[in-house]
Amino acid sequence: MSEVPTSEIMERTKTIELRVLRYRPVSDHEPVFQAYQVPYSDDMSVLQVLQSVKDTQDGTLSFRWSCRMAICGSCGMMINGDPRLACNTFVRDLAPNPVTVEPLRNFPIERDLVVTVGDFVKKIESIYPYIIPKTPKSIEAGEYLQTPAQMAAYESFSDCINCMLCYAACPQFGANPDFIGPGAMALLQRYNGDSRDGGQQLRLDSIAGEDGVWSCTAVGVCSDACPKQVDPANAVNQNKTKSALDFFLRFIRPKDQGAGAKS
Amino acid sequence: MSERRPYVRAQPRDWWARKPYLGYTLRELTGVGVVVYGGILLAGLISLARGPEAFEGFRSFLTSPLSLLIHLLLLAVMIWHVVTWFQTMPKTMPKLIANGRHVPQQKLTLAGVGIAAVCSAALIAAFLIAGALP
Amino acid sequence: MHHVDTDILILGAGGAGLRAAIAAAQSAPELNIALVSKVFPMRSHTVAAEGGSAGVVQSHDSLENHFHDTVAGGDWLCEQDVVDYFVSRCTPEMVQLEHWGCPWSRKPDGHINVRAFGGMKIERTWFAADRSGFHILHTLFQTSIQFPSIRRFDEYFCVDLLSDEGRVQGAVMLALSTGEFTAIHAKAVVIATGGAGRVYSQNTNGGIVTGDGMALAYRHGVPLRDMEFVQYHPTCMPGTGLLFTEACRGEGAFLLNKNGDRYLQDYGLGPASPEPRNKFMELGPRDRLSQAFWHEERKGNTVSTPQGATVLLDLRHLGRAKIKERLPLICEMAEQFMGIDPATTPIPVRPAVHYTMGGILVDINTASPLAGLYAAGECSSVGIHGANRLGSNSLAELSVFGRVAGEQAAKFAKMAGPAKRSTQTEAVEAKALALLTQKGDGERHATMRAEMAASMEKGCGIYRLGPEMRETCDTLANLKQRMAGVTLEDKSRVWNTDWITAIELGYQLDVAEAMAHSAIAREESRGAHQRIDGFEQRDDARFLRHSLAHYQDGGPPTISYGPVKITHLPPAQRAYGALGEQADAAARATAGNKDVAHV
Repeated sequence: MSEVPTSEIMERTKTIELRVLRYRPVSDHEPVFQAYQVPYSDDMSVLQVLQSVKDTQDGTLSFRWSCRMAICGSCGMMINGDPRLACNTFVRDLAPNPVTVEPLRNFPIERDLVVTVGDFVKKIESIYPYIIPKTPKSIEAGEYLQTPAQMAAYESFSDCINCMLCYAACPQFGANPDFIGPGAMALLQRYNGDSRDGGQQLRLDSIAGEDGVWSCTAVGVCSDACPKQVDPANAVNQNKTKSALDFFLRFIRPKDQGAGAKS
Repeated sequence: MSERRPYVRAQPRDWWARKPYLGYTLRELTGVGVVVYGGILLAGLISLARGPEAFEGFRSFLTSPLSLLIHLLLLAVMIWHVVTWFQTMPKTMPKLIANGRHVPQQKLTLAGVGIAAVCSAALIAAFLIAGALP
Repeated sequence: MHHVDTDILILGAGGAGLRAAIAAAQSAPELNIALVSKVFPMRSHTVAAEGGSAGVVQSHDSLENHFHDTVAGGDWLCEQDVVDYFVSRCTPEMVQLEHWGCPWSRKPDGHINVRAFGGMKIERTWFAADRSGFHILHTLFQTSIQFPSIRRFDEYFCVDLLSDEGRVQGAVMLALSTGEFTAIHAKAVVIATGGAGRVYSQNTNGGIVTGDGMALAYRHGVPLRDMEFVQYHPTCMPGTGLLFTEACRGEGAFLLNKNGDRYLQDYGLGPASPEPRNKFMELGPRDRLSQAFWHEERKGNTVSTPQGATVLLDLRHLGRAKIKERLPLICEMAEQFMGIDPATTPIPVRPAVHYTMGGILVDINTASPLAGLYAAGECSSVGIHGANRLGSNSLAELSVFGRVAGEQAAKFAKMAGPAKRSTQTEAVEAKALALLTQKGDGERHATMRAEMAASMEKGCGIYRLGPEMRETCDTLANLKQRMAGVTLEDKSRVWNTDWITAIELGYQLDVAEAMAHSAIAREESRGAHQRIDGFEQRDDARFLRHSLAHYQDGGPPTISYGPVKITHLPPAQRAYGALGEQADAAARATAGNKDVAHV
C-alpha cells in the first residue's frame, strides 16, 4: 500500500496514538505493546493507519490484508477490545482517544497481528463443504431450479467471508479450541439448507460430539461480531435441535443412511 | 527447526464479567432466580404437608415486607428470563420464510414476549375476578 | 531447503487456479497436484469481483452476438479463434459452477437470471447478487476440498520458477510462517497469479495483485503480450479506488456531471433514454466511459472532493428495495466508507485501474512458449480481451481457461519425464536471502513503490503522451537500479512482510516496465491505450498487431510484434449508442442476414 504523493489524498492534519501488541518469536519472550503517533485524515480506516505505520515508521510491523473492502476476510483483529475488520473500522469513530490494536482473540499469535489460521481451515474442510447432489444432472441438462424462496433459506450463511471474528467473539471457543465453532457451522448450514444438496446426514454426523455443536451455550456474541450478517449463532443453535433429534431417531433410521454412506 | 514459536494467550478467568459477555452471564443467572422461586414454592408445599400451623407460618412470611422485596426482585428476574428466552428461541429454529423473504428474529421475539405478556395479564385478571366473586 | 516432487504445480489459488486444480484432479485423478498460494484461497482477489460472469442463455441471444461484442469491445485486437472457443464454453462452465453450488440469482420460476452489462448487445451476465466473484471463489475453493489429489500450500510465496533445457521444472517457495524455502519439482506448472493493477496508485485491486507470475514467466524468457492495455473502471470510490460494480449501471444507474447532466451523450454514446439500453450511454464499454470522465474533468464539469475530481453515480430512481436486493454490497460500501445512502444520495465516483488486459503469452490451450508452462486468468493473455475487456468476460475466463489449463497441464505431465533437480534452487535461495541481508543506503521500498505508482498514473493513464511515457520509462529504470540499495528493516524469518513486499516490488517494476515500453511503442490509439500526441486514431495498417515485451536482464525490455488472428469478423469501426446501431445496420445490409449460431 503506498502513500500517494499527489493532491488526491486528503491532508492528514490530526494525529492518533496507535497501541499495537507486537510479538517477534525470536526476540520477544512474550507480546508487548508498542505505541505509534500517526497522522491521519477523516476518511482513513485502521488498516490504512497500520499501512502508514509500516510504510513510513516501522517496516517490521506484520499484519494480513488484501481487498480493503471487507470481502476477503484477511484483516480481522481486536480493535479497542472488539473483534473488527481493520479495513472497515474508521479512525474518525475512535478518535481522539488512543486506539488499541491486538491480534484476534482466542488464536495463537504467530507474529505481531498474524494469528494461526490453519486449524480453522481444517474445520471448514471437515464438514463436507460442497454440494453432494440429491439428484444427478448432466451439464447439458442445464441448471438445477432453485426459487428465490429456496435460496433465502440458506443465503445468509453463504455470505461468510471466513474472517474468524466470530471465533474471536466466542468464549466457548476460547475455552475449547477444538470446538468446531460458529463459522464452520455457518458453512455447514449453508449446504444443509441448500435445496440441491443431499448430504445432510453426513454433515450432522460430523458435529455430534462435545467438539461439535454441544460446546455452544448460545452466548450469541458471534452473530453480533459478524460483519456480513451471516448469523452463525442461528446456524449452530438450529443444529442442536437437529443433532438431538438425530441422536434419538438414529435407532429407527434406515440402515443405509449415515456416516460414510454416499448419497 | 524453524524460528516459529506461536504464543498462546490464556483466556482471562473473569471473561464472563467483561463486555460483551456480561449480558449473557446475567441471562444465565436468571435461571438461578427461577430455581430460588421454585424453592419458595417447594417450601410452601412442605409447609402445607406439615399441617395448618406450619402453613400459617409460611403464609404470614409471604405477607412480610422482606417477602415482598424478594418477590419483586424475583419478578424482575423472571421477566428478564422470559424476554431473554424469547430472544434465544429464534436462534434455535431454522429460518422462517414467509412471502419469499425470511422473517427477522426480532419479530419472533416480539411475538413471543407479547403472547407471554397477554397470557400473564389474562391470568392476573382471572385471579382478580375470582377473588372479587363471592 | 525442503524438496517436494509433484506432477502438476499450480501457482495461485484464485478462480483460475482452483478451476485448473479441479480440472486436473478430475481428468487425471492419479496425478499429484500442488496448489500454492501466498494467501489462503478465499483471500484471492477473485473474491472482490462483483458484477457477474457472461454466458449466453436467452433464446434471442447467440454465440455470434457474444463473439461480436467481445471482438468489437477489444477493438479487434482479439484472437478470433480463441474468442469463438471462449463464447462456446461460457454457458456450460457457468452451469458447472451452479451444479457445484454457486448461488446464482434466480428468476421467480427458479431459472438463472441474467443482467445487462457494458458493451453487451443482449443480457447474458449471470450474477450472484453483487458478490459474484465472492461466490464463484468460495464455490470453487469448497468444491476443490473433495479431491484428495490436490495438496495445498497455503501462505507460500513464490520467489522464482525453475527452468532448464527449454522446459519448466518447478518453482521455489518461501513459507510465510517460517521464512524457510521449499522447492517444488513439477512436470507441469500452471501460473494463475492474477493481474498487476497495484503498479498504479488508484486501483480497485487488493494488496496481493502485484503481477508475481507475470514477472516470473517474463524473467524466464516468456513474452508479455499487450501490456500497454490497462483497464480503468469508470465507477470507483475516490481515494481508496474501491469498486462500484458495472452492475449498478446494468440495473439502470445514471452517470451525472456537476450540472446534473448525463454527459455520456456528448461522447458518441447517446442518445439517452430513461431506461437502460444495451451498448448505449452508461452501458457503453469501460474505456469509453473512463475517457469521457477525463474530458469532463478538463472541461471543469466534474464535482470536486477532497479525494479528487468525481462524477455522480445516481441510483436513486432504482428505489431502495431494488438497490438492497440487487446491489447489497454497493449499499454497504457507500454507507460504511462514505456515509452515503444510495437510495437518497448519488455516489461520487471516478475511474481507477481495475484490470490488466495483457499478460503471459499463451495459445488457445493456455500453453506458453516455455514447454510445460501454462497460464490462465488475468495473468495470461490468451487473446479474448484485446485492447479492452468487456465486463463479465473475466470471471467467465477463469472457468473456461482455468479448466483448459488444468487439463492441458495434466496431459503434459502424463507424457513428460520427471522434473530435473539442479543447483538452480540454491541460487534462487541465495538471491532471496541476499535481499534480506542487503545493506544499502537505507531507502524504504515503500517510498519507491509510491514513486512507481505515481509515475505510472501520470505517464500511462487514461490518455498518454510520448514525453510522459518516456519519463515513466526512465523513472522505472531508475527505480530498478535503486532496488540494489534497498535496506529491509525486518531481518527476521517468521512472517517478514517487509521482505515479501520488497520482492513484490521487484516483480511490479518489471511488469510496469513492460507496460510503459509497450505503450510508448504503440503509435496509435486503440481501446484502453489512447494517445493525445498526434496518434489519436486507430492505425490498423501499422498496429493491428499484438505487442510482445521481451525481458532483458539489466536493461529495458525489447518490444516486438505478432499477428492478430482474424477469422470471421473483419475490422470495422467500433461504435456504440446510436452510431453503433447505424454501423450494425450497415454491416448487416452488406453481409446479408447471417444465420445465428445457437448454444
